[in-house]
Amino acid sequence: MIKRTLYFGNPAYLSKRNEQLVIKLPEVAKNDTLPESFKQKSEVTVPIEDIGVVVLDHQQITLTHGLMDSLLSNNAAVITCDGNRMPAGLLLPLSGNTTQRERWHDQIEASEPLKKQLWQQTIKAKIHNQTALLERRRDVNTKNMHYWSDVVKSGDVENHEARAAAYYWSNLFPSLPDFRRGREEEPPNNLLNYGYAILRAVVARSLVSSGLLPTFGIHHRNRYNAYCLADDVMEPYRPYVDDMVYDIVDKGTDYRELTKDIKQRLLQIPTIEVVIEGERSPLMVGVQRTTASLYRCFSGELRKISYPTF
Amino acid sequence: MDRFNEYRIMWVMVFFDLPTETKKERKIYADFRKKMLKDGFTMFQFSIYLRHCPSRENAEVHIKRVKEALPEKGNIGILTVTDKQFGMMELFQGQKVKKPDTPYQQLELF
Repeated sequence: MIKRTLYFGNPAYLSKRNEQLVIKLPEVAKNDTLPESFKQKSEVTVPIEDIGVVVLDHQQITLTHGLMDSLLSNNAAVITCDGNRMPAGLLLPLSGNTTQRERWHDQIEASEPLKKQLWQQTIKAKIHNQTALLERRRDVNTKNMHYWSDVVKSGDVENHEARAAAYYWSNLFPSLPDFRRGREEEPPNNLLNYGYAILRAVVARSLVSSGLLPTFGIHHRNRYNAYCLADDVMEPYRPYVDDMVYDIVDKGTDYRELTKDIKQRLLQIPTIEVVIEGERSPLMVGVQRTTASLYRCFSGELRKISYPTF
Repeated sequence: MDRFNEYRIMWVMVFFDLPTETKKERKIYADFRKKMLKDGFTMFQFSIYLRHCPSRENAEVHIKRVKEALPEKGNIGILTVTDKQFGMMELFQGQKVKKPDTPYQQLELF
């Protein structure tokens, strides 16, 4: 089921009542001249079990511990943002699945060849999706991309990922011939970073609900990264974010700043339609299929991860 | 985004008349109402509660929960309509046309 995304960009009091998330506005809650009945009416409630992602993007948001507890036990991803309004933290439950220990065991004990094969599949899917996006949006030669996606070896030892990425990024934005992809680089990198952060939260949430540990990746192994597996699994999904950013840039929107409108677009990432093995579903549901199939690869029931084809 | 179309999104409405003569009956009534609220139903009118469900399957889950909470006595109706049908409802406050104030969306910004 597609869950709801809540974004808080203004001061708010968040609490829990009757298993519902209650949203109060401080101006109303603090104003003693207003009658109690009016205050009750100005509250908004959201069923906690319907929530998938909560983005907290204002320094004056207060939430109760009872609410955090309920959000976690319903497996919602809670994203907190820093002073620059970029996603900074992600709160996830420790036990998202009933057979948690067994699943962590299967994941951690996964053999090196298996992980390499899974990485091969991931990169193949990623390059394939990048190619499809280039073909859809731009009129450039993609023969080399097709070739690279065909010859990815186990563990991508020849690093076709990087070769494809270099070609892809230098051709994706026609209006920006000098575009460089990077965390600290010029816009629209800010849009890409924001979109990837949302995507990462969706993936991490899904991994947890499949009983996997987002920390131990199949390829990424940066000692400072707490979401290696999420970063691995989201690779083939990145072109969906790129496509959305392409659209924003293409429409001539002023993207130097992350405006509310742009954030609103990017927060719709969980609803993008993806196709996995011929079946259409929202991205959020698709990611769940991917992580479920990933676990079955770790446990030896399956040999192929279900990734979307762009 | 035809995955989220107005024929797939469902609204579950529960209408109920429960006896409230004795203290015990009032307790049963309050418990039933509380269970509805906990399940995410909101009051639409007195004794009419409704809930937005993103899919048919999800609506079935909530209908099942209401059925499990049914009190022994009283009349209860459960009606499911599509978002399309729900959106065609005409609302009035007195003689003034009222807009429905339940803009449920997958993404909400506060």
